Amino acid sequence: MNGLRVAGLTKSFGGVRAVDEASVTFRHGRINALIGPNGSGKTTFFNCVTGMVKPDAGTVTYHGRDITGRGAHKIAHAGIGRSFQLCRVFPRLTAVENLLAAVRPGSVLRALAPARLKADVDRALALLTRVGIEHLADVEARDLSYGQQKLLELAGVLMADPETILLDEPAGGVNPALIERIGVLVRELNAEGRTFLIVEHNMDLVMSLSDHVVVFDRGRPIAEGPPDAVRADPVVLAAYLGG
Amino acid sequence: MRSGSETFVKAAGLVGLAGLVVAFPGLASDPFVLSVGVVIISYAVLATAWNFVGGFTGYISLGHAAYSGLGGYATGLLILRADVNPWVALLLGGLVVAVLAVPVGIAALRVRGASFVIVSIALVLVLLLVFQSWESVTGGSDGLRVPRPFDADVLRPEQHQRFFHLHAVLLAVMLLCWWVIDRSRFGMGLKAIREDEDKARSLGVPTVRYKLAAFVVSAFFTALGGGLYALWFGFLDPIFQFSILVGSNMVLMSLLGGVRSLFGPLVGAVVVGYATEFFKAQYGDTQMHLVAMGVLLAVVVLFLPDGIIPAVRGLLARLRPGQASIREVTQEELAAEVRR
Ligand SMILES: Nc1ncnc2c1ncn2[C@@H]1O[C@H](COP(=O)(O)OP(=O)(O)OP(=O)(O)O)[C@@H](O)[C@H]1O
Ligand SMILES: [Mg+2]
Repeated sequence: MNGLRVAGLTKSFGGVRAVDEASVTFRHGRINALIGPNGSGKTTFFNCVTGMVKPDAGTVTYHGRDITGRGAHKIAHAGIGRSFQLCRVFPRLTAVENLLAAVRPGSVLRALAPARLKADVDRALALLTRVGIEHLADVEARDLSYGQQKLLELAGVLMADPETILLDEPAGGVNPALIERIGVLVRELNAEGRTFLIVEHNMDLVMSLSDHVVVFDRGRPIAEGPPDAVRADPVVLAAYLGG
Repeated sequence: MRSGSETFVKAAGLVGLAGLVVAFPGLASDPFVLSVGVVIISYAVLATAWNFVGGFTGYISLGHAAYSGLGGYATGLLILRADVNPWVALLLGGLVVAVLAVPVGIAALRVRGASFVIVSIALVLVLLLVFQSWESVTGGSDGLRVPRPFDADVLRPEQHQRFFHLHAVLLAVMLLCWWVIDRSRFGMGLKAIREDEDKARSLGVPTVRYKLAAFVVSAFFTALGGGLYALWFGFLDPIFQFSILVGSNMVLMSLLGGVRSLFGPLVGAVVVGYATEFFKAQYGDTQMHLVAMGVLLAVVVLFLPDGIIPAVRGLLARLRPGQASIREVTQEELAAEVRR
């Protein structure tokens, strides 16, 4: 079984069923979009998949391996990376240190090796160059603009070299030029073999970028398919308009 | 990026500091000044040990007296009840506390922020009760007399001198360890935890294991500091050993000097230690020195939120000609960004 599969995933907060027996299969190797009204459980779904919160029920498998409820770092090691809805970086670390923090030491002894090994620093600088902020390598993340922080977060995720990348609203709060740039990056990275799963409210971006769209409403998928078909689906329109 | 002259200044500073530490007991002929020196360097040891967990992970433990107290009692009891050589007892005591710190750390490090502070205090209070009431083993509230490791013919000033240098050696070892961790991958992971623990997890940092490792190292060194102090002072009273004040002092000193700096806790210990003695001398045997310390703490929090060392470093950077601040650089870069 290739890629990420989720079956019967459930997570409640008090009385709220944020994710309600959601079963989804994503197209491995493609750009998948996850859309849905505010509060439909998209972020909670991400959190369950990436081990940030423990689901109440259901299973998450990756390449056929059960990763349900595993520690977040183990899921990261399995090859799943993610960004956060409200962009999260390490504010008092420099841009390059933000990336170095994602280096996996490998063994106890190698954990005591210097963090600034040339090979790691070179790779970090190459990634910063790729997202276009290499000139800010030695600036603390808190001194970057929001857009630059978003690019830094993406570079940090890439530093861990994940095969599957979950992005929670990559276009949220950034200007159109930067949305364009992020779109191009995602497409390039996908062409290099990385699978994407993107939560996004910007429909233009979703429609132009994704190969497969899953629509969430009240904690579960109500429709899925190619972007054009989903856009025309009356069920989807009803969910967005009816609330 | 680092210039040769900066490295030279650093090396010279380090040599100067080491020279001062070695020479101090010889310069201070007065036994009282010497004993104050031992107290201050003991605090430097404890604060630096605290900073392995406080500085790297941002978990603020107000209860580190648990580990210094346990280290002191373990050392004393091993000598008294098991007739172990004092230096072996000191090391064994440290190891025992390190082992104990594993389950304690697993339990305590599950909670963050204010909850962790409360949990850390709870442990000290429990230990205080245990060591006060378990008289047959610990000596209870009457305290425990710890035999001196040096022969009786070694006089008081000489004792102070030796213990000052022993503390200095321990401090040097700890500073070296802190420095190694600071620049390591492990250290980068710890700092990521300090900045944003969930973000760190999502990037693959094994946060539980990393926090625990830092915690155990910190407890081990804190216990060694407590044990060495016990050997010097020769007497342990549970009310002073398992005291929130001791833990708060470690926190205050580290914050004052700067928790992100290698020498921050040491600088903080010197300032606070000296200030305490100064205020005690000014106000006599009253509690006024505590008030004065409170004011000092407030001043630091208000005006030097990052501590003395970063403040001084920032000041020097601003004084250096042709050196733009980071902010200005970013503005320029931002402008360049816009033009692109
Ligand atoms: N930690 C939490 N505690 C309590 N309730 C929560 C928590 N996280 C999410 N919820 C609730 O779960 C539901 C789903 O929230 P979630 O953030 O997953 O939605 P979303 O689809 O990501 O929304 P948006 O598009 O606005 O980001 C909401 O009703 C929210 O209030
Ligand atoms: Mg969301």
